[in-house]
Amino acid sequence: MAEPREPLRLEYLPPVDGLTVVRQAPPASAGSFAATYVGPAGWGFDPPGEGGMARLVSQLVTVAAGPYDRVALARRLDRAGATLTRQCAPESSEVTVWGPADEWEELLGLLALVVLKPRFDPADLRHVRRQLVERQLREATQPAQRAERELLKGIFPTGHPYATTGLGSPQTLRQLTRERLVRFHREHYTSGGGLLVVTAPARGGTIAAVARRRFTGFDRATGPALRPGPRRSGGRGYREVDLPGRSQVDVRLGGPSIARGDPSFPAAFLANEMLGGRPLLSRLFQRVRERGGLAYGASSELEAMRLGGYWVAAAGTGADRWKKVVPMLQQELRRLREVVASPSELDLVRESAIGEIPLSLESTAEAHELAVDAGYHGLPEDHWLRWPEVLRGVRPNEVRDAARTAFGEAGSVTVVVGPVGAPDRKSRARR
Amino acid sequence: MSVRRVPRPPTREFALQNGLSVVLAPDPRSPTASVWVWYRVGSRNEHPGITGASHWVEHMLFEGSPRYAKGEIDRAVVSVGGELNAFTDVDFTAYYSTVPREHLGIPLDIESDRMTRALITDEEVARERTVIFSEREGNENWPEFRVEEELYQLAFREHPYRWDALGRRRDIETMSAEQLRSYYRRFYGTRNAVLVVAGGFEPGAIAHEIRRRFGPLGASGEDVAVRDVEPAQRGERRAELTGPGTTPYLQVGFRAPALEEPATPATILLDTILGGETRLFSIGSAWGRSSEHPSSRLYRGLVDPGIAVRATSEWRPRRYPGLFTVQAQAAAGVSLDRLERAVLRLLERLATDGPSREEIEESRTKIRRATLLAYEGASRTAFRLGYFSVLRSPRLEDEIFSDLLRVTARDVRVRAAELFRAEQRTVVRYRPVREAGRG
Repeated sequence: MAEPREPLRLEYLPPVDGLTVVRQAPPASAGSFAATYVGPAGWGFDPPGEGGMARLVSQLVTVAAGPYDRVALARRLDRAGATLTRQCAPESSEVTVWGPADEWEELLGLLALVVLKPRFDPADLRHVRRQLVERQLREATQPAQRAERELLKGIFPTGHPYATTGLGSPQTLRQLTRERLVRFHREHYTSGGGLLVVTAPARGGTIAAVARRRFTGFDRATGPALRPGPRRSGGRGYREVDLPGRSQVDVRLGGPSIARGDPSFPAAFLANEMLGGRPLLSRLFQRVRERGGLAYGASSELEAMRLGGYWVAAAGTGADRWKKVVPMLQQELRRLREVVASPSELDLVRESAIGEIPLSLESTAEAHELAVDAGYHGLPEDHWLRWPEVLRGVRPNEVRDAARTAFGEAGSVTVVVGPVGAPDRKSRARR
Repeated sequence: MSVRRVPRPPTREFALQNGLSVVLAPDPRSPTASVWVWYRVGSRNEHPGITGASHWVEHMLFEGSPRYAKGEIDRAVVSVGGELNAFTDVDFTAYYSTVPREHLGIPLDIESDRMTRALITDEEVARERTVIFSEREGNENWPEFRVEEELYQLAFREHPYRWDALGRRRDIETMSAEQLRSYYRRFYGTRNAVLVVAGGFEPGAIAHEIRRRFGPLGASGEDVAVRDVEPAQRGERRAELTGPGTTPYLQVGFRAPALEEPATPATILLDTILGGETRLFSIGSAWGRSSEHPSSRLYRGLVDPGIAVRATSEWRPRRYPGLFTVQAQAAAGVSLDRLERAVLRLLERLATDGPSREEIEESRTKIRRATLLAYEGASRTAFRLGYFSVLRSPRLEDEIFSDLLRVTARDVRVRAAELFRAEQRTVVRYRPVREAGRG
């Protein structure tokens, strides 16, 4: 049966036609299985003038495949007690199947089917296109989503893979034909440049054999490579978008950041945890919410991808309070870049991040996320086992130095979206 | 595979002399332990003037006690890698922490302390007021929240289900610290609480520890039963809201049975047939609720023909009669009138013709399979046990589940006919205003 269970230790299995295959044991008390295919199919690959392509394909892949139309596929999953989910990002697209561990082989076959043989039925295309048009409207009208869009547009110049949220426009979506989608799928859901992560109660050899049997027939063994886009030069940007009739103002500060493979990533990771990544302990949460009482949430993120990344500090606050919140976020960023944190603050955040690892082993779903992350970035098999030691090796001055680059001021942007123009009339819809 | 009973982990249940109910679900393999305290107190126990008090008290229970100064509760749990939070519902409030198993003593100490000794100072209440506002404002940005709040306000005239757990704006503006303290002293205590611990621990030792920490607390917590009875609805009620948004959106609500009424199993099946899943038994809960159910009635009737981009139904299990709702977001270019006509026609057809045998079987299969992995991990185990315990006991789940397996197509048709009557219908429509330059 299974080899000794150590979910934090991954196992790289022999590639299948260039497809990287990673095996992870599920947590001891878990009864479920998960597998994810990650392909070089993110919206950074959208051809010029065809915005929305990657997202459209990503959604359609999980709708219908092989002999299963959308109803039959849904019923198949229901019968197994399984789910099929997808995630599209700038660099890649993921498809994940999750279900009972005793059906892992069948379900892995189903994952292979949707990845290799999506149907792209015309009716499904019409339906998914309608959904994306509605999401575009949501992105234009919802302060939180609009703020994210404006932020990325502000940080990265047009043509950069991270410059958009990948939704395209009604025009670009309209012109995406089935043929174009099929072609994008063929070129981007590939074995080469692709990754398969399997969290199942089976030996590596068994998983490798099943993967070899199921994941054959990719149209291409070589995946496309994403080229880093140009960087905006210097300066800082500021953008205010007045959306009357809303209650909350969404504030975002952000800028270009480092790639996951950057040697300073562990220190930058801790800088983010200290700033706003560890919500209850972080400086932003403490200052904006706990001491200031100015917002329900204040947090930060470090999106470190393969080619590069970006940082974001965010808060949602009232129309009468955002002018106090923006300088607070700016001050905390400045402090992060300029002042070396006390050893006790760093220890608190670091030990919290380390102590959290067992929580990731509560369920297969959570453990699996760690494996996908490590596999995608090509991290060593014992990466998560060594992670505590790596974090403990980071010194306070290294955190500050990393913050100067990973949370740099150059090229940063401040975006404020919501009822910023007429706070006293916020309950009435205008325009 | 045929699942005949819910694969629930073994539990040990007992009550302390002060009335505190305890449920333990040990799993020696688990690297974590999860502690949940469920109070049978929610927005149903409020009244106009103090709506939102349960939610505000929830916030204040993180803000200090004689033993834990402000910020120390968060710090104690998060510093060992744990996570903690709380949420407020209309029927209950729940506080939880999940920690690496060797730190189980921390959340037990916190919960035994704040059950009766939270400080709720004037200063912290004043500061938290804007935080609560901010939380409400974040929700108000969503048309779905505004529509739902309006729907419940229209559908209920007497019963406290009429307001959202966040509370009304004017009450958040005016509620005093003393009103919050009084509410807390009145309802929060051992008699109204269920303590659930799941995960990696030795049950004998933890039972001893619980008695040591919670046993000395005096019996407290007033009766939480709601006396207000909502009169029968005698005619359709409707409202239309306007505001920023994407496409027309609507919610239709019908008076629905309380959780423990005999109609519950058929209502759950009806919900599954219409919307594709039901809250109590949902397969996708490890990854969040699945958003698409192409075989469901609403999908086939509204999404397939391009009338809506999404449509779902929802029956929330409630201690008192609540609402069964249908929600639909129109596709671009589809009017509210057309959307509403399509929704009502679809419900009428189900009430007249009933579901097919295939639909019944398919829904039963979904529910059976959903139970298989419902108890994976200490946090989800403690959540699920606590949820059924605060409503009655963990065995409530077994009873509902076994009744579900006996529901027939005829039962569902009869239920739909009783439920979807025009005179007990409430409709709230949302018409997005046209904005300049929204792209």
